[in-house]
Amino acid sequence: MNNPVQKYRGWSRAQAAMAFLILSAAIACGLAVYSSASSLIGVSRTAFSVLFLPLLFSLVLAFLLDPIVTQLEKLFSRTVSIFIVYVLTLGLATLMILWLVPHLQEFWGNIRTDFPRYTHQAIEGLKRSMAALHDRFPFIEDYGLPMKLRSWAEQLMAAILAQTPQSAMKIGGLLVLVPLFTFFFLRDGRRIMSACVALAPNRHFEMAHDLSYLVNRQLSQFVRGRVLEAIIVGLVVAGGLSLTDIRYAPMLGIFAGVTNLIPYIGPIIGMTPGLLIAFADLGVGGQFWWIVILYILIAQVLVDNFILIPVLISRVSNLHPLLVFFAIIVGGKLYGVIGMIIGVPIVSVIKITLLEIRTYRRNFRLPEAALESDRPHNL
Amino acid sequence: MDPLWINIFRKKLDDESLAYFLKHLPIFSELSPRALATLENLVHVRNYDAYETIFEEGDPGSGMYMIRKGSVQIYACDQSGAEEELARLIPGDFFGETTLTAPAPRSASARTMEATELVGLFRADILELAERKPSISSSILLGLTRIVSERLQAASQEIRRLRKLTGEQVSRENIET
Repeated sequence: MNNPVQKYRGWSRAQAAMAFLILSAAIACGLAVYSSASSLIGVSRTAFSVLFLPLLFSLVLAFLLDPIVTQLEKLFSRTVSIFIVYVLTLGLATLMILWLVPHLQEFWGNIRTDFPRYTHQAIEGLKRSMAALHDRFPFIEDYGLPMKLRSWAEQLMAAILAQTPQSAMKIGGLLVLVPLFTFFFLRDGRRIMSACVALAPNRHFEMAHDLSYLVNRQLSQFVRGRVLEAIIVGLVVAGGLSLTDIRYAPMLGIFAGVTNLIPYIGPIIGMTPGLLIAFADLGVGGQFWWIVILYILIAQVLVDNFILIPVLISRVSNLHPLLVFFAIIVGGKLYGVIGMIIGVPIVSVIKITLLEIRTYRRNFRLPEAALESDRPHNL
Repeated sequence: MDPLWINIFRKKLDDESLAYFLKHLPIFSELSPRALATLENLVHVRNYDAYETIFEEGDPGSGMYMIRKGSVQIYACDQSGAEEELARLIPGDFFGETTLTAPAPRSASARTMEATELVGLFRADILELAERKPSISSSILLGLTRIVSERLQAASQEIRRLRKLTGEQVSRENIET
């Protein structure tokens, strides 16, 4: 205490120096851990974003092909069955592409000339209606809506033209990765699953194993149902449209099928381009009304709501409309257009998993619940 | 063992292999080598410490366990919480087979008495196998049915004997009163 320099608040100088060293070492360690953790999170986020789409597509494809492989497995080994299914799928895909390529070429050839024509017509229509509106309500200001629409349409066209090669590269990458991943999911999916379940502690292993089976079964039914529904709706729309003089019927069918994956909003988005093209090219007439009936009554009400949904989709996967909107908005924010399409199915998947766990807990008393209810007896 | 690695370590001493163990269980004694190989990939090998609970009465039951090493105590608790030992099982024994085909809560509790290696076979795997390889799954289920019906017969004989005993007791009480 005599020497305040040497003893600072009861610490000797050596102790203070030691404390300072330890503290700074701790801070340095913390910073190092923090920075490496944040870089780890960054790395894993990059890895996830790179792998997300190929993994998702190959999982869906594996769910779709699995029943066929299982049927063939009664005759051949699993690997041979997968190869047979692959050869068949490849043949079908080749036929599909051969059929689609001329349409695609026509589509790309025409869209550059047609798109400005469609926008021009739309702008003319808008100008006319604005003029009519001005005649009736002269106090409404002119907001320059036609000009805005024109610049917006030009931007959209430029974006489509610029992004097509980029997305073609992405699709090329997917074409290599997805068959590869799907092969391993089909061949080793069961082993991968049981290796994951084997990580569960002994006490909960049995339940984890049972739940993984139940959830897997529900999910495969859901994925198969949704994809089959989209394919059939797409075929119905493409077939119905090809009866009329409308152009791009196959493209519009594919578009309607893909957007049909989104409940409530998807069908409306899916029919918009078809109706616009029909309106611009064919005018309001018999064919236009046939297309309207085809989209709304035949494809949506009759085929989808009365036949496909009751047969293919279980009520379990029904989502509240509000939840659908949340899923679409968040999916769109995270992954753009593809996020909007896959957002709703992913939320359904989460819902199915949670529901399956709840049913399981209801059917049996869980170990924890059993312990808790037994406790008063033991006391 | 981790199911992913089973193929790599396939070459082992015959009497140490899982297939050898399964082959010598009464349930699977009549399986073909091909069915045994399939079964070997279907079961789950789990390692337990001493005095670890395997399952408790009322737990969701979804399959059977076979004892490869160690020993297992089957017990039930009465209303006051006192434990009553029902059986002490040794390697080669199996338990929980009644819940393999029909989902039901466990009717008794099981715990290990020493470090134990159990081989589990669960309903989900059997159901999945029935779709992929119906003939193999039916031969596995036949073996199981044989054992279950043997036990059922023994149990019904026991019930008859007990009923006879209690009947005699009741009639004796009637005579006395």
